[in-house]
Amino acid sequence: MNKLHVNAAYCKGCLICVEVCPAAAIRPCPMINSRGYTLPEEDDMSRCTGCRLCETVCPDFAVAIETDEDGGE
Amino acid sequence: MSPDRSTDLLKPGVHYLQGAQACAEGALMAGCRVYAGYPITPATEIMEHAAHRLPRVGGRFIQMEDEISSASVLLGASWAGAKAMTATSSPGFSLMQEVISFAIMTETPLVIVDVQRPGPGQGYISTSQEDVMQARWGHHGEGSIIALSPASAQDMFDFTIEAFNLAERWRTPVLVMAEETVAHMRERVVVPPADAIPIVNRTTPQDLGIPPQSYLPYGHAQVPPMAVWGQGYNINHVSLVHHADGNVTRYNPAVHLENVGRIHRKIEDNVDAIARLETRGLDGCRHVLICYGSVSRTGIEAVREAREQRGIPIGFIRLNTLWPFPERRLRDLVPEVDAVFVPEMNLGMMIHPVTEALRDRCRRVVPIPSLGSLHSPGAILARIYEEIP
Amino acid sequence: MKKHPMLKYLKEEAAAGPRLPLILCPGCGAGQVLNYALRAVDAVIQEDGLRKEDFVFISGVGCSSRLASHYLNFDSAWTLHGRALAVATGALLANPKLKIIVFTGDGDAAAIGGNHLIHTCRRNLDLTILCVNNGLYGMTGGQVAPTTPFGVRTVTTPYGNVEDEFDLCRLAQTAGATYVARWSTAHPHQTIKTIQKGIRKNGTAFIEILSQCPVHLKKTPAEMFRQLKKSTVSLKKAAAGRAGSRIPVGEFCDIDKPDWITRYQNVIDRLQSDERTHE
Repeated sequence: MNKLHVNAAYCKGCLICVEVCPAAAIRPCPMINSRGYTLPEEDDMSRCTGCRLCETVCPDFAVAIETDEDGGE
Repeated sequence: MSPDRSTDLLKPGVHYLQGAQACAEGALMAGCRVYAGYPITPATEIMEHAAHRLPRVGGRFIQMEDEISSASVLLGASWAGAKAMTATSSPGFSLMQEVISFAIMTETPLVIVDVQRPGPGQGYISTSQEDVMQARWGHHGEGSIIALSPASAQDMFDFTIEAFNLAERWRTPVLVMAEETVAHMRERVVVPPADAIPIVNRTTPQDLGIPPQSYLPYGHAQVPPMAVWGQGYNINHVSLVHHADGNVTRYNPAVHLENVGRIHRKIEDNVDAIARLETRGLDGCRHVLICYGSVSRTGIEAVREAREQRGIPIGFIRLNTLWPFPERRLRDLVPEVDAVFVPEMNLGMMIHPVTEALRDRCRRVVPIPSLGSLHSPGAILARIYEEIP
Repeated sequence: MKKHPMLKYLKEEAAAGPRLPLILCPGCGAGQVLNYALRAVDAVIQEDGLRKEDFVFISGVGCSSRLASHYLNFDSAWTLHGRALAVATGALLANPKLKIIVFTGDGDAAAIGGNHLIHTCRRNLDLTILCVNNGLYGMTGGQVAPTTPFGVRTVTTPYGNVEDEFDLCRLAQTAGATYVARWSTAHPHQTIKTIQKGIRKNGTAFIEILSQCPVHLKKTPAEMFRQLKKSTVSLKKAAAGRAGSRIPVGEFCDIDKPDWITRYQNVIDRLQSDERTHE
């Protein structure tokens, strides 16, 4: 199953990644973090196809999708 | 004006050139291979000569849509490794001030020639020295600058080469404050053999063995080594207050003082190495005439006649460099005199730093203004004889 | 923690400390444009074998111009408001091998920089202009811009804008740019492909990217993203008269014409081949 990595130091909680995800695999986190942002989090990653649209649209280079092909780097 | 058809630089020997041509040829001799400009009287001849000559020596010339973009071209050209120049006149010089300010902060070598004409406004198209204060203070913000004052076609050749050498040595914009007189006069210009002309190029990090990963774009020395684009140094040029590594965050007053303070001191602390002046007859003189640019041509005649015809012990100082102002050197040269005469083609500009330097060394400082035309020797003499009957 | 693939092109850390995250507001479209641009550059480097060292990013002043402020692991310069194209011109004249990408905004390019935009396009200098158009001046607080539509209230048009806006692509095309395209941040793949084409184009590529400013327009980033998708329409549909009030996006022109450096090189070659030329 694919994994969502969110760099909390870079993410500003714009949630465009959640907006564009075609598989509805991620969702906004219900908690505000210490910087006042609502980060994305995994919802149901079994739906994630690895299209990486979230990575493509991220304005802050804060998300990354890890797939099995990445070989656990 | 007949363009030189040679694909070479000027051959060593005697040439008969207009000051404007000599300026452009000096730039080529110094290694200038990018010229951008905009037409404006009385500087246009420099650009026209550059337009003819740049492609012949393998450089590139472009006429831009205004003076602001002409000066901006020099920034990109310099960062990409070329020596670059533009020439303008007083109204265009006003337009270029933001670029000059930016070049000071980014420590970008480039040369701007201002062929001064009277102002304010459209003023006139005759000669002037009305921009000499603007040269130092016209750019917004702090940061010092280098400005030279040529007085002949020979100077137009020599000083332009010197301007490029200073720009490269000190990583700064350098101004050649010419005047309409000196740009339009045709005179003998002697070109030395190429190996007798010192050419200075910027120090690069490679010259100092600094690899990209340890390079600090604004660090390592008071004059930071300058990386050129296209060589893998990933250099970011920025004019916001910055750290030595180019970071523009983490602003605080200490960083600000360190950054801008170093840029200021880079020039002002080195005035002895940068500024040049000429002196005649200072031994035992009771008065002195201090001038610059084409006024030094008639000024020296007035001094000679006053000494020979009336035996007035008056000495002569010519400021080849206007900025940084050589205050300490001037005080050393003038221990005690009665009158200091300062003829200028303006209503009194360099007379201010002169007065600041020599107020306690003389009894009076006497301005000799002229607007729009060069003082004749007689006009200068008349004022001298008024003060010293 | 797996890192975003484009971070290899950014300076995360340097001697004076961390530089990321970008100074831009949450959800700002300019950050997305940087993402798209880096992907396009990455593709061109991999596929065409271009040298990373030859790429130079030049910006003016404004939110989008912050992209080239100090973040890039490339040669770059954050220059003067409106003058990035003149600076780029100088760099090309000094080293025509440089692959120059200019980040600019609607105010930077079309207001203070308008004259230089027109002349750069006319000259067909070989560079790629990425104009991030958010319809206002973001950095300074949301003032009206030459791209703000009629009637819109901004901090300097508090009673509604009385001016019509520029069509930047039409302006660039009329001025002579040989590759002109418009997309929005809500068209990531099209934008990336278009930027690749712009880089590969030998001439002036003007690429306008409609972008969201959530802070000044007081909407969430996601909402604005949806709105961008809805308010744009393909050129084909627009040509068929079905645009309505939607903004046409796509490629407006793609023509071949020798660029400035090539033409000037012809002059250099001609002069140097025969010293006896009577020119």
